Amino acid sequence: MSPESWLYAGATVLGAVGMWLLLPRPGERMRWVGAAMSVVSLGLILSQVSALGDMLSQSMFIVIGSTTVISAAAAVTFRNPVYCAIWFAMMLLGTAGLFMIQGSHFLSVATIVVYAGAILVTLLFVLMLANPRGNAPYDRVSWEGPLSATAGIVLVGMLTMTLGGVLKSKSFAADMPSELIAAQEAQADDQADAAGPVNILTQDHSASLGARMFSAHLVSIEVAGVLLLAALVGAVAIIAHSRAAQPEEAKSAAQVAMQAPSENGRDR
Amino acid sequence: MNEVSLLHGYLTIGALLFGIGLIGFLSRRNMIVMFLAVEMMIQGVSVSLVAWGRYHNNWDGQVMVIVMLAVAACEAAIAMALILMVFERSGKLDIAFWQRLREDNQPEYVDRELPPPEEEARQWPQLSPAGVEPEHDPEETAFRTHV
Repeated sequence: MSPESWLYAGATVLGAVGMWLLLPRPGERMRWVGAAMSVVSLGLILSQVSALGDMLSQSMFIVIGSTTVISAAAAVTFRNPVYCAIWFAMMLLGTAGLFMIQGSHFLSVATIVVYAGAILVTLLFVLMLANPRGNAPYDRVSWEGPLSATAGIVLVGMLTMTLGGVLKSKSFAADMPSELIAAQEAQADDQADAAGPVNILTQDHSASLGARMFSAHLVSIEVAGVLLLAALVGAVAIIAHSRAAQPEEAKSAAQVAMQAPSENGRDR
Repeated sequence: MNEVSLLHGYLTIGALLFGIGLIGFLSRRNMIVMFLAVEMMIQGVSVSLVAWGRYHNNWDGQVMVIVMLAVAACEAAIAMALILMVFERSGKLDIAFWQRLREDNQPEYVDRELPPPEEEARQWPQLSPAGVEPEHDPEETAFRTHV
């Protein structure tokens, strides 16, 4: 095995044991040991990513990327579900930062608005309605912690090892420009109505994204709209159904109560 | 900026998010945390899609992520409605409660070494002292003229 493979294998083992120690389980958890092992594993994996070539971008990427991943690990390992939700919000902020580095500003804002603004707040509502304290027994155990940690981290290890092998090979980097140029030419032929070549780092980012979205992807947008409507109706139907069950029983009970006096009256 | 390195970094982060979300979905028993883990896996895929869009210099990756946002919002609405309804029936957010839906020939999962619920130390509110009794002059109490 090459040194890279050993490094990935070490990162996988460290990460699996670290995540297992972090997951909730009864008894002494040794969470700090688990956190340290997970961070070392993350550092090993990130050390294999080749440099961006620009000091500022590189440090921004490392800081925001590791914030995202560490918040993600915290979001699935904290016992109190409220803390999980808050760490999930931190992960969303990190993802929005990653999108911003990629130059997709609209998505970055949309992630914060839709996820952190709408989905997470709904989730916190449900959480507060259901169980605000994190001392339920089922929050303090996991299903098969070692097995699930191993499954997830082995998946990560295999993916990152393959990525490192493919993306760092000389042929991939050498093939890239001609392939990119060919793809761009094909695209230019494809969208003959669009003015000028495609550049996703353009200044009028949202306008170009919207133009692309409402021309080439119009059907997807229509489908997404129908899906949203269906989800709205479905959610209302689910809640209304569970609400309707109780008045039905109450009504029948009331009918019984109404009938009983009349029978008594008939007897009289 | 080196585009291949950017792609590599983003795909690595996407893989990590997906794997951590998978761990959370497999291991946690609280339905809301399981839902969070699924959203985390969706975020991992979104990061990868945006990276590929940047690499190939087209908009389709970002458009796909916008459609995924819509799907995630629908999923959140339906999941929250279902979780609330299920919570009304069982009184807990534990997914293991619903093993009663299993087939007849499947064995029941019995919790081993389930910890007892932690009793929170009750913090009763305490009134702050309204004032301190002053030092009494014994002579004044003995020879008080105005009482």
